[in-house]
This record gives sequence, structure tokens and C-alpha cells, in this order.
Amino acid sequence: MFHWLEKRPFFFSVGVFLVIAFAGLIEIVPDFAQASRPVAGTKPYTLLQIAGRQTYIKDSCNACHSQLIRPFKSETDRYGPYSLSGEYAYDRPFLWGSKRTGPDLHRVGEYRTTDWHENHMWEPTSVVPGSIMPAYKHMFHQNVDLETAYAEALTDKIVFNVPYDQPGMPKLGNSKEDFPAAQKMALEEAKKIAAEMKNQDVKDAVARGEIPEIVALIAYLNSLH
Amino acid sequence: MNWLSDNVNQLALLGAAVILILTIYVAGKYIRQMKTEKSTGVLAEENWDGIGEYKNELPAGWAYTFLGTIIWGMWYMIAGYPVDGYSQIGEYNDEVAQHTKMFESKWANADHETLKAMGEGVYLVQCSPCHGIAGDGMDGKAADLTVWGSADGVLETIKKGSKGLGFPMGEMPAGLLSGDAAKKVAEYVAGGMKGEQPAEFATCAGCHGPDGKGMGGMAPDISTYGSPDFVQMVLDHGKKGFIGTMVSFKGRLTPIQEKAVGTYILSLSHGE
Ligand code: HEC
Ligand code: HEC
Ligand code: HEC
Repeated sequence: MFHWLEKRPFFFSVGVFLVIAFAGLIEIVPDFAQASRPVAGTKPYTLLQIAGRQTYIKDSCNACHSQLIRPFKSETDRYGPYSLSGEYAYDRPFLWGSKRTGPDLHRVGEYRTTDWHENHMWEPTSVVPGSIMPAYKHMFHQNVDLETAYAEALTDKIVFNVPYDQPGMPKLGNSKEDFPAAQKMALEEAKKIAAEMKNQDVKDAVARGEIPEIVALIAYLNSLH
Repeated sequence: MNWLSDNVNQLALLGAAVILILTIYVAGKYIRQMKTEKSTGVLAEENWDGIGEYKNELPAGWAYTFLGTIIWGMWYMIAGYPVDGYSQIGEYNDEVAQHTKMFESKWANADHETLKAMGEGVYLVQCSPCHGIAGDGMDGKAADLTVWGSADGVLETIKKGSKGLGFPMGEMPAGLLSGDAAKKVAEYVAGGMKGEQPAEFATCAGCHGPDGKGMGGMAPDISTYGSPDFVQMVLDHGKKGFIGTMVSFKGRLTPIQEKAVGTYILSLSHGE
């Protein structure tokens, strides 16, 4: 029955290619569909939030925490509405994670607050008795690297067309000219967060114009909705 | 040979031995067959550089199954999936709708004890990380729910004032009353504003209204203070007060759950 094909190698190859490509197309085509565009209201990360995100990655929070709420009732009861693909449009790389030693954090900004994170990151067992999450005290005196955050935002804008040209976002372009303004903007944002914190060293550092990692991290966690 | 005392290891070893023996047996059989057997059958027409191929019919059962899956696959792609489409989100929506219906009919008239038990469950998951397992606010990290909602809670509010629930009236100033007057008013408010109104309540009436109902939403309705309704109002509003930020639970809990958690936390301060 297949001898006819076997005697026509070129035609056979084309046939095999088409059959296999079909399976590939089925996987790829939905990615071009509207469903994977940014969800309305999804905003690019500010510089401070990117710096916090870098801290999150550096300290491997994603090793214990996922950021992907699956459509199961037990999950949406605990964490909030299930995640949509378009919500990750500006996440590079995405931090879905694959292991939940701790809870999912995709919407943690909706039910935890700056002052809670401050207590929790300083000493998790002070608010959750029996927590096995490590304390992150070093974040309270280590400062973030805003220049790297700026470089990441600029890359996202140029390479991935992330829409940074909008009100409330730092101006990105010529790093010599635009960085100081962007830095000032990040500091303003940091001041708002430090005002809700209690740690005096952190408050002093921000008043001096520094940005401790904890402030950026909290800005990032609060942005997770 | 300590590891052999584990029965999983024993099983694995046995399995490995069986696989080894079978492999040797089967491979040996085919090698012998290749040495001695002459091939028979009908050759296919074509050959490639002198190498021929026997006509080898597919086993009927296999061939029909294969054809069957191709036909099923086409049906599924064209009609089965798009028309009778299963989607995870659809299943989720069905599950939630079904659960909500069941939940609401089952607990619509839940009694006090049931609400309290349900509320404790909700509390431990959603509230205890901030308010503490005992509800004491963990050294001032959040509102002390063993006081809030009782006459002492009102007294505290009169002493310190209150802000952050987001009412048009804004902030309630600290120290409006003191001493016995404050105590009398606190008892009156915490008691559901029943009985004779103390004259000192006039201080409060300016903002909360003579009936305490908050003048049509300008200030909180304190006639419900100490009841689950008031807790429900707090859960919907959230509060950015003197202690810290209480998140809003709007849409995150069902009305029955809000009532239940309200019943539970009030049982802490009402000493039940
Ligand atoms: C060893 C694994 C581990 C690592 C690493 C870890 N966590 Fe956790 N995290 C946990 C566990 C377990 C919990 C639950 C107990 C608790 O709340 O402390 C938790 C809870 C949390 C919560 C509270 C979430 C909720 O819904 O209550 C936040 C926020 C959080 N972690 C943030 C972080 C951040 C930010 C980092 C990185 C700096 C981090 N975690 C690193 C294990 C971890
Ligand atoms: C200047 C107007 C004003 C006056 C006078 C006033 N209140 Fe209030 N009250 C408010 C406002 C506004 C709020 C909501 C504050 C917030 O956002 O937390 C409030 C909140 C409250 C609450 C709720 C506190 C909580 O824990 O949520 C109580 C109880 C209360 N008032 C009692 C009183 C009593 C008793 C008096 C009289 C001694 C009084 N108020 C006088 C404006 C007022
Ligand atoms: C992110 C931490 C956090 C979570 C989660 C939380 N609370 Fe609170 N809550 C607070 C803080 C902080 C305050 C004090 C606000 C203030 O007055 O400054 C507060 C205040 C309150 C008050 C007093 C409000 C008033 O008007 O004075 C009530 C009642 C309350 N919470 C109930 C709850 C219940 C019920 C839950 C769970 C469904 C809950 N809270 C979850 C942090 C939290």
C-alpha cells in the first residue's frame, strides 16, 4: 500500500514534512491570537520594581514560590483569580516557577502589605509561626543596582517593544541624559514605601538617596496583582 | 548487603534479573533463527540494488485500530473539539458555579456555632498571617481583635481616633471624649445603641448622625459596631490606619464567609 510513496522519495519527504508541520502549527498559531496580548491594565515595571524583580531572582525566591494561579477552585480561593497569559506580557523572563515550597505569589500584592512584608522578610516566624522560609535580613542594608535595572528596562523597550513611553514611566533612551531623571523617579517611589516601613536604617538610607533591596523588593511584590 | 533488606530493592533486583534473562533468551532465539532459517514469502515487485522486500501484510487488528484513530482524530479536530469543546476554564466555571449554589443553599441559614466554626477556618487561612493565630495582632502588627468590636474597642477609637476606611468624612480626631463620658458612650455604642442615649453622644452625632447610622454614608454606621455587618463593611473597604494597612477583601470572600469570619472575630472580643 505504501510502495507507491516509497518509490517517490521527494513527494514522500514533502508529505512527511506537512504532517509534522501541522502538529507544530497547532501549537504555534494560538500564540499569534489576541488572547496572548497584554491584558488591559497590565503595566510595564517601573525601575524600582525591576530592581526588586532582580533581587527576587538573585535570591531565588522563584525556587520556592510560583507565580501562576491555576484554574482550580482551591487555588482561586486562596490566591485570587486564575492567571492569564497576557498578564505576563512584560515579564522577561517569566517567573512561573515549578515548585511551591511556599505559596503562590502572583497576586500577593492584593492581600499582603508593605508593613507585613517588612516583618516577614526580616523574620518570617515573627508573623507565621513555624514558617520554614529563610529570613532575608541582608536586604535591609544592601542597596540595589539601579543602573542594571535601567539597562534591563531599556533592553525591554528596544528589543521587545515594551511600551515605556507613557505617563508614570521613566524616560528611556540616552542613558547619560535620561538616567538621572529615572533614578530620581525611582527614589520618589522608594520614599513612599519607606514611609510605610518601620526600620530606621532603611528610612535613613532612603533619605540619603540610597535604595535598599528590601524597598525595591516590596515595590515589586506590591505590583503583583 | 544491608540494602537487600529493603523490599523495594529486592523487587528491583528481581525485575532486573528477569529482564536480563528474557533479553538473553529472546536475542538468542532470533540469532539462532537468523543462522538456520530460510526466508519464505512473496517478494514485492520493486527491489533496490538487488535488495528485495517481502510483502508483509499488517496484522488486521492493528491496522483497523490505526485507521480508527485517524478517523477519530479527524472528527476530533473538525467537530469534536470546536463544537463540543472542553476547556479547562469552562470546567472551572462549572465547578465554581456548582459549588457556589450548593454552598449558598446549604449555609443560607447557618446558626451561630456553624458560622463561628466556618469563620475560624477562613480566619486561619486569610487573616492569621497579619492578625496572629490568637487574633491579638501580634504586638501591634495589626488591629488587636481581642479588643476591637467591644466597648474597649470603641474606647480605644475615641482615645486614638480613626482613619483609613475611606469615608467622605475623612478622619475621626483623637480624644473627643475622656473619662466617664467616653466610657458611657463606648458602652452605649458597643451595646448596639439600644436604650437611652447618653447626652455625651451629641459629640459623636455631629458626624455619625443622631442615630449613629453615619448620615447616609458620610461616616461609618456605628449602630452596627460589634456586629458582623460592621466587619463586612471593614472587609469591603480595607483600612489604612495608624497601625498599618488592612487589605480589602472585596470580592475575595462570599457574603456568607464574610459574615462567618465576622462572627468568629467578634467572638474573640465578646468573650464567647
Ligand atoms: C526555602 C523556600 C523559600 C524561599 C527561598 C523563599 N520563600 Fe517565601 N515562603 C516560603 C514558605 C514555606 C512560606 C509560607 C510560610 C510563611 O508565610 O512564611 C513563604 C511565604 C512567603 C510569602 C507570604 C505569602 C502568603 O500568601 O502568605 C511571601 C510574600 C514570600 N514568601 C516571599 C518570598 C520572597 C520575596 C522570597 C525571596 C527573597 C522568598 N519568599 C523566598 C518559602 C520560601
Ligand atoms: C469629626 C467627625 C467624627 C466625630 C465627631 C466622631 N467620629 Fe467616629 N468616625 C468618624 C469617621 C470619619 C470614621 C471612619 C474613620 C476611618 O476611616 O477609620 C469614624 C469611625 C468610628 C468608629 C469605627 C472605628 C473602627 O474601628 O473602625 C467608631 C466606633 C466611632 N467612629 C465612634 C465614634 C464615637 C463614639 C464618637 C463620639 C465620641 C465619634 N465616633 C465621633 C468621624 C467622626
Ligand atoms: C495584610 C495583613 C492583614 C490581613 C491579611 C488582614 N488584616 Fe485585618 N488589619 C490589618 C491591619 C494592619 C489592621 C489595622 C489597620 C489600622 O487601623 O491601622 C487591620 C484591622 C482590622 C480590623 C479593624 C478595622 C477597624 O475598622 O479598625 C478588622 C475588623 C480586621 N482587620 C479584620 C480582618 C479580617 C476578618 C481579616 C481576614 C478576612 C483580616 N483582617 C485580614 C492587617 C490585615
